[in-house]
Amino acid sequence: MKKGNLEYVTNGLIKENPVLRLVLGTCPTLAVTTAAINGIGMGISATVVLICSNLVISLLRNVIPDKVRIPAFITIIAGFVSVVQMLVKAFLPSIDKALGIYLPLIVVNCIILARAEMFASKNPVLPSVLDGLGMGLGFTATLTLMGAIREILGAGTLFSLPVTANFISPMIIFLLPPGGFFVFGMLVAASNALAKRSGKKPVEHLGCESCPSRAACAEYSQDGVKEENGDE
Amino acid sequence: MNSLTSIASILLAAILTNNMVLSKFLGICPFLGVSKKTGTAFSMSIAVTLVMVVATAVTWPIYTYILYPKYTYLETIVFILVIAAIVQLIEIVLKRYIKPVYQALGIYLPLITTNCAVLGITMLNITNEMNYLESLFNALGAGLGFMLAMILFAGVRGRIESSNIPEFMKGLPITLVSAALVSLSFLGFAGIGG
Amino acid sequence: MADILKFFKNNRDDIFKPVIVLLVICIVIPLALAVTNKITAARIAELDEKNETEAMKRLISAETYEKKELKTDDETVVYTVASDGTEVRGYIFTVSAKGYGGDVSVMTAVNPDGSVKAVEILDVSNETPGLGQNAAKESFYSQFSSKTANIELVKGTATENQVNAVTGATITSKAVTKAVNEALGYCDTVINDTIRLYGKEAQ
Repeated sequence: MKKGNLEYVTNGLIKENPVLRLVLGTCPTLAVTTAAINGIGMGISATVVLICSNLVISLLRNVIPDKVRIPAFITIIAGFVSVVQMLVKAFLPSIDKALGIYLPLIVVNCIILARAEMFASKNPVLPSVLDGLGMGLGFTATLTLMGAIREILGAGTLFSLPVTANFISPMIIFLLPPGGFFVFGMLVAASNALAKRSGKKPVEHLGCESCPSRAACAEYSQDGVKEENGDE
Repeated sequence: MNSLTSIASILLAAILTNNMVLSKFLGICPFLGVSKKTGTAFSMSIAVTLVMVVATAVTWPIYTYILYPKYTYLETIVFILVIAAIVQLIEIVLKRYIKPVYQALGIYLPLITTNCAVLGITMLNITNEMNYLESLFNALGAGLGFMLAMILFAGVRGRIESSNIPEFMKGLPITLVSAALVSLSFLGFAGIGG
Repeated sequence: MADILKFFKNNRDDIFKPVIVLLVICIVIPLALAVTNKITAARIAELDEKNETEAMKRLISAETYEKKELKTDDETVVYTVASDGTEVRGYIFTVSAKGYGGDVSVMTAVNPDGSVKAVEILDVSNETPGLGQNAAKESFYSQFSSKTANIELVKGTATENQVNAVTGATITSKAVTKAVNEALGYCDTVINDTIRLYGKEAQ
């Protein structure tokens, strides 16, 4: 049975939400979400890179030899990231300032490499582009939600417009690093609870299955578990 | 004397106040994924520190003498490729000449290519307009800061494993909330080395 | 010759294909970047300049803004003289100082008598949101207006020639104060030089 095109998009938005379900790209999720607008800026930049890199990698999937696939993917992704970086600098300078080095760091955002490796290098062009769009939208939506929560609690504003700022003194801690970890933990807990209700497994660990270096990772995480059990 | 104090303050800032993981959110994946045992956390951080310092030693001159000022737009792509090559080279050299070190660190090296902390520190050195010596010490400090965070957190994780956690918080959520608390304690260092 | 061909044939998929594919990718992508850079670089430069002139206009409204250089012992400082015709309205200095997470960039406009006319915070994006970044709020930087050399930073008890630090952001406030004081120092040299060269009237 052929998957409907729409399904590729909604897949990334909800069922396989890259941040909450696959737990990829945690660094930018925590770092830039001090305001809702930063979440949107980061999300859209990453979405553009995802769509373009998925498109090109899917087109070249039969040309790139397996051996050099990772360096080839990284080069292509880095190319698109640099293009997006220059465009943002030229046309949205305030977003560029707010995102700082996290904008070029999209290169090492595992969502993009993971989708190139898991999806685009194995699927035709149209599904790959739609997958990129879906994943990107899921990433954008989650980042914006998290940015909104932190902005309302930490600054009392939403998209720089006052919400609670006039009657509740804002809790700055939510804008600081601990607030980032805390809000993200609560969002994952909420998403786990929702997933459980609809009969899915909750997320307990990072998205290691989709990490390009999972071979190395699996090796020692198993090792660690084994030895830990031995200790007890 | 002046340069000595400035280097000391760079080291302190990189380890404590601007900690890679807990205040800049770089290298979160290994921080949350690997830090289950103090031993593995330690080996991983040594590998990261090594790659950070070597990567900075190579990328800084490339940027300053080749890319700047005409080709700065190639920074991202050149840096990531250089780091990937350096990681491969370190792996080969260790495997060939220092077997015991390779056995201890080898499995972590492939992970490091896509570790945002390494690319992050090389770029931060450029953004903050540091000179070569400062950059090297900043990279060393960032690596040591990464190590401190990893080892501290491995200890915290050990405690979590053996405690009674509410059902909905099990797994990743409790890990993140404990990370928030560790990060909160690091806020206390604000002002040191500034 | 035949050996070489044979070697090539045997290793085609193993060595040569990967190398050639990578090489092509590594040539095409930087070329594409060069093209994008060509398109955006002019706009980025234009934008920077526009931001700078707009900030200057907000600080001092004058007919002409002329860039000049001040050579001190170990560096060259670029500053701007704002004037209406021959009458100097003020001097503008952009100075960076080390804050909490990186450099803080501050633009200071100085009156011809050497007191601060107004201050504008150009860049605090490296500082902590909610704390250090509050230094970019008017309630903090407007305190600098009409202060003179060696401004002191205090916590909540500002009297003459002192400013109150932003709550929870002493390091950022210190950086801004340092930048303003540095600008006043440079300006002092400029004003003295002008007096020495042209006499009190020309000022």
